Amino acid sequence: MSSIPNALCFGDGLPAAGAPCHVVLSADGLRLIPLEGSQLVEESVAYSALSVAAGGLDHDQLVLSWTTGASARTLYLKDPALIVAFRRTAPPELTASLERAAEHVRRARHSHRLVWGSAVGIVLGLGLLLWFGSDLIVEWAVARIPIEWEQKLGEAVYQDALSKETVLKEGSAVGAVQEMTQRLTDKIPHNPYKFQVSVVQSPVVNAFALPGGYVVVYTGLMKKAESGEEVAGVLSHELNHVLQRHGLERMVKMLGLAAVASIVLGDQQGLIGLAKELGLNLVTLKFGREQETEADVTGIRLLSDARIAPDGMIGFFERLSEKDKARVELFSTHPMSAARAERLKAELAALPKRSPEPFSFDWKNVQESLAKSEPNK
Amino acid sequence: MKSEILYPGAFPMVRVYLADGETVKAESGAMVAASPTIDIESKMEGGFLGALSRKMLSGEKFFFQTLRASRGAGEVLLAPTVPGEIVVMDLDGVNEYMVQKDGFLAGAEGVKIESKMQSLTRGLLGGEGFFILKISGTGQLMLNSFGAIHKIELKPNEEYIVDNSHLVAWTSTTTYNIEKASSGWIASLTSGEGLVCRFRGPGVVYIQSRNPGSFGNWIRQFIPVSE
Ligand SMILES: [Zn+2]
Repeated sequence: MSSIPNALCFGDGLPAAGAPCHVVLSADGLRLIPLEGSQLVEESVAYSALSVAAGGLDHDQLVLSWTTGASARTLYLKDPALIVAFRRTAPPELTASLERAAEHVRRARHSHRLVWGSAVGIVLGLGLLLWFGSDLIVEWAVARIPIEWEQKLGEAVYQDALSKETVLKEGSAVGAVQEMTQRLTDKIPHNPYKFQVSVVQSPVVNAFALPGGYVVVYTGLMKKAESGEEVAGVLSHELNHVLQRHGLERMVKMLGLAAVASIVLGDQQGLIGLAKELGLNLVTLKFGREQETEADVTGIRLLSDARIAPDGMIGFFERLSEKDKARVELFSTHPMSAARAERLKAELAALPKRSPEPFSFDWKNVQESLAKSEPNK
Repeated sequence: MKSEILYPGAFPMVRVYLADGETVKAESGAMVAASPTIDIESKMEGGFLGALSRKMLSGEKFFFQTLRASRGAGEVLLAPTVPGEIVVMDLDGVNEYMVQKDGFLAGAEGVKIESKMQSLTRGLLGGEGFFILKISGTGQLMLNSFGAIHKIELKPNEEYIVDNSHLVAWTSTTTYNIEKASSGWIASLTSGEGLVCRFRGPGVVYIQSRNPGSFGNWIRQFIPVSE
């Protein structure tokens, strides 16, 4: 008779992981039916010969032991239905120890639940605080994310985003963007990031920055720019989103509870897993109004420090938003507003006057090379 | 599903043969190569919140992806991240293995993977984190280790002491307690060493011959520190 195993039998001559077998209960005992090919011998054991205990990792298995001839046998039952059936059919003599076993399980489960309940309560409390917009907690949590996590996360999303795009590897456009990035990053004090900038061939008017310092600029944006300074303005804005960890702040806000729990528990894999799930959202992540202003203000200061004419940034933003705001993807992730433009102008007026140093490339040549690299246009 | 271990030793790889329509669950990132008939399934059901809560509760997609032979039979090559052995075991439907997260490589369609929260003390002190995998069901299960894998067989009530960072997997018929290896709890906690698990049979415990944490520390001394 072959049947589905519902118990594991341990003892001399049996495998260490237990011999799977099938247990059938009757009024006066149990019958042990081995599976085909098992070293186990079919036998019947009277209830009176059994001793009962709770066992297993969570104390939720029923452990029956007895001796057969000279060897001891131990049977582990895990199936709850089988355990219930055993408690119903077993004679009253066994009930006392059975109830002790059941009590043991209840106690173990109760304390387990209590401890986890309070742990979950604490995390939930933190999460709720966070949910209701306490930026302090978001900042606290973000400050606890190590740069390495941020880089792993950014890199994963970056690879994924670039895998579907045509990335320009060389040419004057790539050289120009590299020069801009170099000029800007040289002026960032205590820069913990190694910025990587890719130029993607696409008519989309956009640029984005991922946590960890991964920046993408689309050729569509470069074609719309009238000077290198304008593109550098967008780049400086993007770099500052990274430096202020704005992407991470948005992410922690969105993930709320889950992110805080992973950070509190130090579960890096969990956080990266969560973020990876939402990976594409990171690319299309919409920044908040305050974050935009912060990136604008610090961005324009960085331009000035790098001796790149900062009015290019304002001019570019204004020209783009006048034309066809709805069709400029840059503004779907970096919402443009009149207040933002005003703030930028005020900041520009307050900046110390510095004589700008021109780039080594000629912007017209860069744009011509872009036009050439796209044969259909 | 059939499987075969290639290059047994420190740098093994598993070849898994899938019949038309069959699937294998593999640790995310374990796939090395596959026939063109194999698809990687990524499911995101129930929208953002649904997916999030499911992920929080089961932890599933954190750890594995499903590879399906959706366009005809084919094969998949799988390899673990770290150098070390691979073991293949057949689950019989009653045996249940607790596996630390990094120990899981792959499992057949009938293999059930749940992630389980440990008791808080085990989670804090055990060193395998708060979540471990509870693996049951039927079919082939593949585990991998850092270094060689060693099987410890325990008779009922037989005990064995294992350094917690060497744990790979253990059957759920065993029980264990976390203990300090030497005197002084404070010393154990601050040095992060000297915590061991006292296992009690019956059952089987799989351990790895190398400690990933210690290896990391050893390697770190050769990496120049950037300012
Ligand atoms: Zn912005």
